[in-house]
Amino acid sequence: MSEVILSGIQKAFGDNLIVKGVDLQIRSGEFLVMLGPSGCGKTTLLRLIAGLEQIDEGELRINGRRMNEVPPRDRDVAMVFQSYALYPHMTVRENMAFGLTLRKMDKAEIARRVQEAAQLLELSDLLDRKPKQLSGGQRQRVAMGRAIVRQPSIFLFDEPLSNLDTALRVQMRGELARLHRRLKATMIYVTHDQVEAMTLATRVAVFNGGLLQQCGEPLELYHRPANRFVGGFLGSPSMNFVAASRTGATLSGQGFSLPAPADLDAEVRGDLLLGLRPQDLRIAPDGVFRGEVEAVERLGFDGFAFIRTEAGSIAARFDKGVDVKVGDRVAVAPVGDAVHVFTADGTKALRHPSLPSAPTTVEMAS
Amino acid sequence: MLVAFSGPAFAADERPAPLRLWHAYRGGEEEALEQSARLFTQQTGIEVQLLGVPYDAFSSKLQSAIPHGVGPDVFIFNHERLRSFRQMGIVAGTDDFITPGDYLPNALAALRLEGRTWGYPLSLKNLALYVNRDLVPKAPRTTQEWEQQLTRLSNGKDRFGLAYESGDFYLHAPFLFGFGGALFDPDTGRAQFDTGPMARSLAFVKGLQDRHYIPSEASGALVKSLFNDGKAAMVISGPWFAGEIDTMRIRYAVAPLPVVSETGLPMRPFLGVEAAYVSPNSKQPEQAQALARFLSVGDAALLRVKLGRQIPANVAAYETEQVRGDPLVASFRETAQHAMPMPNTLEMSRVWEPMKLALRGVLQGGVSPGEAGLLAERRYRALNRERPPDASPWPWIAGGVLLVVGAVVWAVRRPRPKQSFQKRYPDTVRALAYLAPAAAGILVLVVVPLAIGIGLSVFHYEGGQYTFVGSANFVDIVASRGYRITEPLSFYFTLAVTVLWATVNVSLHVSIGLALALLLKDPLLRFRGVYRVLLIVPWAVPNYITAMMWKGMFHRQFGAVNALLDALGIEPVSWFTHWSTAFAANVATNTWLGFPFMMVVALGALQSIPHDLYEAAEVDGASKWTQFRRITLPLLRPALLPAVILGTVWTFNMFNVIYIVSGGEPGGATDILVSDAYRWAFERNQQYGFAAAYSVLIFLVLLGYSAFTRRLTRASEEVYA
Amino acid sequence: MSATASTRTRPLWRTLAIHLALIVTCLVTLYPVLWVVKLAVSPAEQMSASANPLPDLQAIDACAAASPHSAWPRLSCALRHFAEVTTTTTSQGTWLFGRQLLNSLVVSTVSTLIGLVLAVTAAYALSRFRFPGKQLGMQSLLVTQMFPGTLMLVSLYAILERLRLLDTLTGLVLVYATTSLPFCVWMLKGYFDTIPRELEEAATMDGASSLQTFVRVVLPLARPALAVTALFSFLNAWNEYILAATLLNDEASFTLPVALKRYMGEYTVEWGKFGAGALIVSVPVMALFFALQKHLVGGLTAGGVKG
Ligand SMILES: Nc1ncnc2c1ncn2[C@@H]1O[C@H](COP(=O)(O)OP(=O)(O)O)[C@@H](O)[C@H]1O
Ligand SMILES: [Mg+2]
Repeated sequence: MSEVILSGIQKAFGDNLIVKGVDLQIRSGEFLVMLGPSGCGKTTLLRLIAGLEQIDEGELRINGRRMNEVPPRDRDVAMVFQSYALYPHMTVRENMAFGLTLRKMDKAEIARRVQEAAQLLELSDLLDRKPKQLSGGQRQRVAMGRAIVRQPSIFLFDEPLSNLDTALRVQMRGELARLHRRLKATMIYVTHDQVEAMTLATRVAVFNGGLLQQCGEPLELYHRPANRFVGGFLGSPSMNFVAASRTGATLSGQGFSLPAPADLDAEVRGDLLLGLRPQDLRIAPDGVFRGEVEAVERLGFDGFAFIRTEAGSIAARFDKGVDVKVGDRVAVAPVGDAVHVFTADGTKALRHPSLPSAPTTVEMAS
Repeated sequence: MLVAFSGPAFAADERPAPLRLWHAYRGGEEEALEQSARLFTQQTGIEVQLLGVPYDAFSSKLQSAIPHGVGPDVFIFNHERLRSFRQMGIVAGTDDFITPGDYLPNALAALRLEGRTWGYPLSLKNLALYVNRDLVPKAPRTTQEWEQQLTRLSNGKDRFGLAYESGDFYLHAPFLFGFGGALFDPDTGRAQFDTGPMARSLAFVKGLQDRHYIPSEASGALVKSLFNDGKAAMVISGPWFAGEIDTMRIRYAVAPLPVVSETGLPMRPFLGVEAAYVSPNSKQPEQAQALARFLSVGDAALLRVKLGRQIPANVAAYETEQVRGDPLVASFRETAQHAMPMPNTLEMSRVWEPMKLALRGVLQGGVSPGEAGLLAERRYRALNRERPPDASPWPWIAGGVLLVVGAVVWAVRRPRPKQSFQKRYPDTVRALAYLAPAAAGILVLVVVPLAIGIGLSVFHYEGGQYTFVGSANFVDIVASRGYRITEPLSFYFTLAVTVLWATVNVSLHVSIGLALALLLKDPLLRFRGVYRVLLIVPWAVPNYITAMMWKGMFHRQFGAVNALLDALGIEPVSWFTHWSTAFAANVATNTWLGFPFMMVVALGALQSIPHDLYEAAEVDGASKWTQFRRITLPLLRPALLPAVILGTVWTFNMFNVIYIVSGGEPGGATDILVSDAYRWAFERNQQYGFAAAYSVLIFLVLLGYSAFTRRLTRASEEVYA
Repeated sequence: MSATASTRTRPLWRTLAIHLALIVTCLVTLYPVLWVVKLAVSPAEQMSASANPLPDLQAIDACAAASPHSAWPRLSCALRHFAEVTTTTTSQGTWLFGRQLLNSLVVSTVSTLIGLVLAVTAAYALSRFRFPGKQLGMQSLLVTQMFPGTLMLVSLYAILERLRLLDTLTGLVLVYATTSLPFCVWMLKGYFDTIPRELEEAATMDGASSLQTFVRVVLPLARPALAVTALFSFLNAWNEYILAATLLNDEASFTLPVALKRYMGEYTVEWGKFGAGALIVSVPVMALFFALQKHLVGGLTAGGVKG
């Protein structure tokens, strides 16, 4: 149960600045997910928190104490590696007990903790096996068990589920959530998978290019993305972006125009970027965006049509009753005022739709 | 103070310090020496500590130990090395102590140099004719008689009238002298080769071999075994051979070598003298002289006859009942009278290699007896480097200083990296702690000797002294002086052979080792433990014996390889006559010796490949071959590469296989750079500077290779980045 | 090591072919060694001039007939050279062979241990740490192997004299340990490079110090390479005789190969004893290999399902 504060953290490898100044406050007991595309520096940031890399600039505080110079073992953090990094020459039991033995803990206590963690993770029957004799999911659980037995106040996870198949991933996601509820420790979890982020996090921090883009609760990020990147990164299919400009009360662009939302600041004018979630678009004869259907994805209950319009390719959701075929000419329109408005360069959101009364289904790939 | 205490007050101890006596004797000779030493102790009260040293390490040990004052007081060696011992200053004069009349005159003469005597003659070594008395009732007196007997005693296959180590000039010398030859030009004193007697003596011996009177490529071991099996009726050898005869089976007699009918001259063998030398650094010179003298006369001489079956140089010994009744000694005494004391001159030491070349060239059939002299002459001239002019070391020193200054300037003016040193190299202090012990050891025990070795290359060694000659040694080698680059003695030819040698060997080692490792790591294979242990046997058994077995296997007549070829209906091959076959024999031996090491390394390296990768590949439908190429090889690289790189370097410098198996045959063509360097250092008048220059060139070639491997290793680090 | 689908279903003919290939290879491998055996068990001190590598039983029988008093005449004839080699004594009557065997064992073992400790630490630093001159360090190790050793003997002798290590087993141990270092460091460094760094980081997170990580995680994983290097350094020391013969000045401190080489004289060779000695000398090496081989092939896959 610890609070972690990053202020102005920077890290470079050689001449490449990888983490470019991150400020982030992680509350005690929260499940914070760091989300971002691969290569954006998430792992590096996590390793900086763990102490596996030296911080170049800025400060890391845990529970108010400056940690920059503190070696990993004194930070009271445990880390689960993407590759699990289980010791191949040790049994499951030895793997889990390793950290405790090093701390010269009482044997009985070690045994108790290992037993307990094994039970929690359903590893009790596998304790005497070596990592080579385990399946991927089992290894994953051992890696977690190794962290759990130490009862650290902070857990760091680096894409722990990325090597598992879909079904296992769903199951492990549930277990992780259960674990968090049980242990009530601070957990910092790195992933590039938005589903994991949305389902597990109390808060999500979205990164891109070594910079924090936005941090907030999952739905807040979904509904109120701070910039084009966050808007586009969350949600599936991705948010549609179309260039537009405002003239008076209309927003118009290549081959379309629509009324500007009433709550859009009057100051905002000139070139803009509109963000339209596919789920917020409907096929309608009098729609604003017209074009030819290029592809159709049917998911059973509903589906998505990908339409080539003058303003660019646009994805739109349709209900199961609607009949759409490739080659059809259709028109789509936003439902209500479900339009996100960003500055033309996408760096800042200017307006978000008001939250609908009935929650929209959030579609995501798993 | 200390000096005072350790001085005279305690010097008058009852018992003087023991005398150290080093030798390379074995068996009866050693026994005789031990008993004599005991006698000496009984008579004088001075202890003698004996140390038997392996023969092939003996002279280098003496050369190292005596100048450092840790050597023996007395040591025993033949007189051929006397000149070089004298130049190194490791023998003391004996004129003040010796009684010349005690010894046979020609034995004493052998120990004279610069008008002084340098040792006490112990025993004589010279060649005579051993005959199997059941086959040869009467020893031949002339070569005519001899040839008649040989015709009768040889069957053209596996029975020979005569056997001796025909490829060795020491054994050919009696023929040369018998045909009226002389080694040195009487006017200039220079060695001469292209003479009529030379051609005739070579033709005679070649005739013996062509008519199958003597076995070809005979080694000492073969001669011994043929004689003991009754398959060789006569043998040319020295007194030591008497101890080798199985007297349970063979009755023998010793006779002088016959007279050459053509010339009427006796076949005069060389006379070798074994002597007891006194070290000039002995702390008890008088006692040491006394011991050396004691060993050469009186009871010690008789013990040597009785136990060692040696031929004493002591005149008085022949007066005794025991020696007079000893047929072996009597016969050798008689033959020794005709023997020609082997000159201990520099010129003599220059004769061996050219003569060996000529002799083997003729016997192996590549050279006619008439041409052989010229061949030897050419080799003689190429080997005898004139002493290069002295050079001034100052340009070199100035160059060195300039280099250092340049390096410092470069280091200082190099653009500074953006990051601080601490950030770029965070582990420097820790690394230092981890590396220091190993680095210290290597620095002192490897790098310093290496630097000194490199330094020698700009010096010329002669007569115990080094003189600075600058780049003269290198120029000589690189200019390939006196030889076309396609000839064996040229640096470039040898370099090409060396590169080929290293490449072929290492590829064979790696491919065989890897193939076996792949078979043997399979957990389903039964008995794999047994196979593994059997397959490392070549690595476990000392290679200085197995290489000799291989040499035996390639013998033209008695070797197993030719027996196998014969069984397969293939013509037997004379392995050491042609470059290609001699090279192949070397490679076969070295492959056999080297593959277990690579197999072991590969077995270990294979363990670094995670097994799931294969499972994944198998799921992807990759064939075994694809798996090998795409998974095994790339992932094996980091762990296997060190062995491959070092293996190449070692093979490059691996001369003992070549030395033992082909011995450089034919004509030095299969020598590699190191074996050449070795010959320059140890067989061609200790041209240490020249040998060092050779080594530096080897070093440079390998340095080029290592620049190439640096790329390989870098690439392999990336596999696991 | 779990069995893959294909190995489990390997057809019989392939298994047989593999065994056949291995048996043939073993025969070729052992053939020259049979000659050494033949030398060792032949009652005479001679090499026989024939292509048959099997011991000459007639000669043994003849020898046995000549010594009817022995309990096992044939056996004692065949083993005569072994007995002669192993029962050598000094002039004072102490058991020289035993003493020399002990010297060899001590020198080889200690130099292997010292060499391994030095090599392992150096290789680890070269594999893992970031410090200047790393490439240079690796290359200079290689460079030391490039100069032919024979020419370095003279200066090495002088250095050891200066260090007062002449005529001591300590000096010999140090020389052996350092001369095999370059290979050991290269070998281990190459292997360390293949061990995933994350394992060490996991240990760091588990609270291990750098030394603990090294000893409890890295070393156990490098067992195959350790086995190879141990075997190499041991053999390097075990079979060496030129240095030993040059540096040591006392029969009782000689190592076995020096004693063995003594059977090869200037003019004559005591083949029987030479062969017997060579075989005796190779036995401990085989034993060591036997002991090490499970580590050699254990390593990362240790504890897998036994096939
Ligand atoms: N040790 C390192 N040395 C050099 N570059 C590194 C190192 N670790 C990571 N990087 C670089 O930093 C960038 C971010 O890496 P990482 O933090 O692993 O990304 P993520 O985990 O978000 O996918 C990548 O471009 C990677 O190449
Ligand atoms: Mg990552």
